[in-house]
Amino acid sequence: MPSYELALVLRQLPRPELISVIKRTAEAIFDKGGIIRKFENLGTRALPHKVSEHGVVHREATHFTIIFDSAPTKLSDLREEFGRDIDIIRRNIFKLEEPEEHKCTLHEEMLPPSYRKDVQEIIDIAKRKQKPKYNYNSGLDYYPFQK
Amino acid sequence: MFKLTRLIARNANVGSLRGTQQLLPRLFANAPAVSEEENTATTKNADEPIDIPNPFEKDPQQCILCKHNITPHYKNVKLLSQFQSPYTGRIYGRHITGLCKQKQEDVEKAIIRAQRCLLMPGYHKDLDFLQDPKLFDPEKPVRPHKY
Repeated sequence: MPSYELALVLRQLPRPELISVIKRTAEAIFDKGGIIRKFENLGTRALPHKVSEHGVVHREATHFTIIFDSAPTKLSDLREEFGRDIDIIRRNIFKLEEPEEHKCTLHEEMLPPSYRKDVQEIIDIAKRKQKPKYNYNSGLDYYPFQK
Repeated sequence: MFKLTRLIARNANVGSLRGTQQLLPRLFANAPAVSEEENTATTKNADEPIDIPNPFEKDPQQCILCKHNITPHYKNVKLLSQFQSPYTGRIYGRHITGLCKQKQEDVEKAIIRAQRCLLMPGYHKDLDFLQDPKLFDPEKPVRPHKY
């Protein structure tokens, strides 16, 4: 089972109710055969803009993330279930990925265009697309008759 | 034409018959002389250019995120907001930020994720981060603006 991160934005609630909301979401994950790895509270703060959800306008919210393992086929069900919860403003599920080893390519990108590999490929494509010109075989570099 | 070919054939025959004894020794006499010169040049002459990589080559350029080995993450809002315009909230392009292609893509992805999770505003920069140090100057892009 792959690991996922559930980023929840919860309605501003008193502490006991907040706990019950988190319990509800956690149980929903367990019911679908998932495993919870980690809880993370990102705190209550003002939203960057007002958000209208379930017929209420929210200006403050609690951010909460749950890291869990689950079958990928169950994700859409989970998303739908959290969508029905009135106390959840937003829910996003992201796949947890290890950062890949990557070598900086800035040096190659800063070269003049004709030295860059992607530009050279483009030039090659343009050359390939050029139509062959008809050769008159007259030995002259111009057309001797009126066109 | 026939006469010419006959002439050439006769000359060639005569030359080969006579020259076997006279010309060949000369050829052999030349050959060792050349090889001797080469040998002396490689072993004795220290002024000869040597084949080494360019000692004056500069270190390859690296973008600021690769240099400090930072992978942008959507919860790291303070870092991400530095790549956002304080006036319009737009993500600055690669020609302004001076990042390599991969890192710029990662930053853009992380910013969009953070905005979807209501962690970051989309139309302005977070007021808490307005005084943050500038990583680059949008007035002086690395490459000219498209517009």
